Amino acid sequence: MTALLSMDRITGGYGDADILQDVSMHVDENEIVVIVGPNGAGKSTAMKSVFGLLTIRGGRMLFDGDDITGWAPNRIVQRGICYVPQVDNIFREMSIHENLEMGGFLKKGDLSAAYDRVYTLFPDLKERRKTLAGALSGGQRQMVAMGRALMLDPKLLLLDEPTAGLSPRYMEQIFQISRDVRDTGVAILLVEQHAKQALAFADRGYVLAAGKNRHEGSGADLLADREVAEMFLGG
Amino acid sequence: MEYLGLLNYALFMAIFIGIYALLALGLNIQWGFAGLFNAGIAGFFAVGAYTSAILTTEHADGRIGGFDMPFFVGWIGAMIAAALVAWPIGKICLRFRSDYLAIASIGIAEIIRLVVKSEAVLTNGARGISGIPRPAAEFPSMAQETAYLASQAAYLAIVVVVLVAAYLLVERQFNAPWGRMMRAIRDNEGAAKAMGKDVEFRRLQAFIFGSALMGLGGALFAHFNRSITPEAIDPMVATFLVWIMLILGGSGNNRGAILGAAVVWIIWSMSEIATDRLPTEYAIQAKYIRLFLIGLMLQLVLRFRPEGLLPEPLRGDRRAPKSGADHT
Amino acid sequence: MDFLELINFYVIPGIVLGSIYALGAVGITLVFAILRYAHLAHGDLATLGAFIALAVVTGLGVSPLVALPIAIIATAAVAVGIDKVFYEHLRERPKIVTVMASLGIALMIRAVVQVVWGVDTETYSRGIVRPENYFGLRIRDREILTVIAMIALVGGLQLFLTRSKWGKAMRAMSDNPNLALLSGIDNKKVVMLTWVIVGGLCAASGVFLGLNTELKSMMGWQMLLPMFAAAILGGVGRIEGAVLGGLVVGIAEELSVLVIPSEYKAAMAFAILLFMLLVRPTGLLKGKVL
Repeated sequence: MTALLSMDRITGGYGDADILQDVSMHVDENEIVVIVGPNGAGKSTAMKSVFGLLTIRGGRMLFDGDDITGWAPNRIVQRGICYVPQVDNIFREMSIHENLEMGGFLKKGDLSAAYDRVYTLFPDLKERRKTLAGALSGGQRQMVAMGRALMLDPKLLLLDEPTAGLSPRYMEQIFQISRDVRDTGVAILLVEQHAKQALAFADRGYVLAAGKNRHEGSGADLLADREVAEMFLGG
Repeated sequence: MEYLGLLNYALFMAIFIGIYALLALGLNIQWGFAGLFNAGIAGFFAVGAYTSAILTTEHADGRIGGFDMPFFVGWIGAMIAAALVAWPIGKICLRFRSDYLAIASIGIAEIIRLVVKSEAVLTNGARGISGIPRPAAEFPSMAQETAYLASQAAYLAIVVVVLVAAYLLVERQFNAPWGRMMRAIRDNEGAAKAMGKDVEFRRLQAFIFGSALMGLGGALFAHFNRSITPEAIDPMVATFLVWIMLILGGSGNNRGAILGAAVVWIIWSMSEIATDRLPTEYAIQAKYIRLFLIGLMLQLVLRFRPEGLLPEPLRGDRRAPKSGADHT
Repeated sequence: MDFLELINFYVIPGIVLGSIYALGAVGITLVFAILRYAHLAHGDLATLGAFIALAVVTGLGVSPLVALPIAIIATAAVAVGIDKVFYEHLRERPKIVTVMASLGIALMIRAVVQVVWGVDTETYSRGIVRPENYFGLRIRDREILTVIAMIALVGGLQLFLTRSKWGKAMRAMSDNPNLALLSGIDNKKVVMLTWVIVGGLCAASGVFLGLNTELKSMMGWQMLLPMFAAAILGGVGRIEGAVLGGLVVGIAEELSVLVIPSEYKAAMAFAILLFMLLVRPTGLLKGKVL
């Protein structure tokens, strides 16, 4: 079976500096894959490389049968990958509903099915659809951000540290919603700082260090790996 | 005598280039060095011109002064006065992006224009101040024509001395460690913010020092002309000429600023000679066409040669793209 | 001076002037928020709009009100053209470079006005219009018209920004440009749309200034400071703030002659600008600070 997304020996970075060196990963359909690693390992960079946000100097990026290496973000969005940045990921001065509308900006025709899907996943948001997104709590903002990204029915959702700064209760909720999203047929690639919890919840994981692949495997296997544990899970 | 006339004209041009070069150096401290957008150059120029006029003219009834002081006191006074006007504006605006300074400096130039026009007790209103003493103007032993030539040459020498002194001073600051730091952060507001108070203070210094040089330029102009009136300079045109001089010459490069002053002033004067030959019905329109062309020239320089004739040495790439839209 | 006099001679003219400033300030606030720079050619664009209307008024013999839509469309087209030819290629450079370019554009637009229409003062119609008396309030028709037109234009804009897809896209670009781009919003179209609106509003403010006073080649440049003061007073990016700011600056300018010499009326806007930057740079309605 071919993977939905496959990164093949990607080398690249911002400007002239190569942050990623020969990084390879893949995400299958209906799969949650997490990237973990110490600070500065290039986790977020690896994810941004998928979305066309950095200069790729080596390797290939395949998505759903297309070679998307070097595509511009707006073309990638249309191809079916949506990206939720870690910070500044909502329109603060727009209502929740308007945030979703902007997420579906590229979609031609009726958005009501997309709204229904998002509001079913996030019932909290439906109740407060007229509220300005900037007035929400951190966890709710993250839901708006995910909701916005889901409006175009992507096949793959990229989440950059979705639980950063959230309370454990919200973290659990975001993970739960991610599973729900996965169950609607959307694969998820996410970067996580909370490695233990993330590996426990993800299907598979990659450990990056210093811009290179270090380990990969199922979440449970990685959690059990002694080297991984010593590296950054706090022993 | 044709030859004398040409020589006189050349001296006249050279003096103006020297004065404009001083203004361009002042702007280079602000823009080239610290990235500060001053759109009110003519205002600081006027403050300097009038301050020196008030300090150095003989006592006159109906207005404050003159105090009949030596010219160099007037020139130092001009610098101090321009600096004092710059200080509160800089203090308030330099915390923000330079857009705010641009607007506020347009405002202060406008206020200065109003003051010059309305406060007759200071500026003698529309009639202006005349009888401003000119240093080294009297050569009684010479024939009249050569005496005039000698006085022009002497004034040019003074302007050149002032310009060279300013150039050496500014150049030293540019190459000092904190000068390099300022230039490094000039294009990066984020880094500037992170450096905090110290940078704010340095920028204020740059703004004040640059404005003081503009005030000095005004004083040199007033003493050369022996008089100053509200109509002596068109604020927008003067401000704009200095800008195009610096940008064309090479912002961030002091020699570029001086070269730009010479090139632009020569083009500007030549085009004036050309349009003056037109029949009167076209002459007025031609004046505005010249303004249009000088505006167009800026657009072309910004587009095709943003680094100017003499690029800044060791400059960071000012064209480096920032990720997305820059906040702050 | 009794209360009615205060209203008739200061407050009403202040509201009218404020409405004119408001039309310009809304444009300034849009450029500030969406394109993220101070547009110094804004006032001269208003001058151009006023003179285009004059050409229509004298050429076709119609009233300034009929000429207004034509001036709005023509000025909007000029604004889009200026952006395409002069500003667009500066977009990747620091924003302040565009501010500088716009200062040059201001000079160029003014020179065009001076070449085409000369430097003499013009009016849309000759003769003195006496104000009507409404229960002691003395108001001219054109003054009512100015205020109504301002409310209609800004109200229409507000509806566009809150109801239409592209209006929301403009707000999104102002709110979070990176995310707007990630959502696939076409920045070029948003920029063009912004200039259409801004150019049109400029023309309206110029025409109404000309209608209530007279037309001069410097009229717009002299409005630049009050318009910026209004935009910053209201809060950058806030449409309703720009209207509020415009009215406050207009009324403050008219009232200022009670306490300071009338020559310094123009200094009022400057004082308000500096005061706001000093105490509350986000403006009354909490806008952006660049």
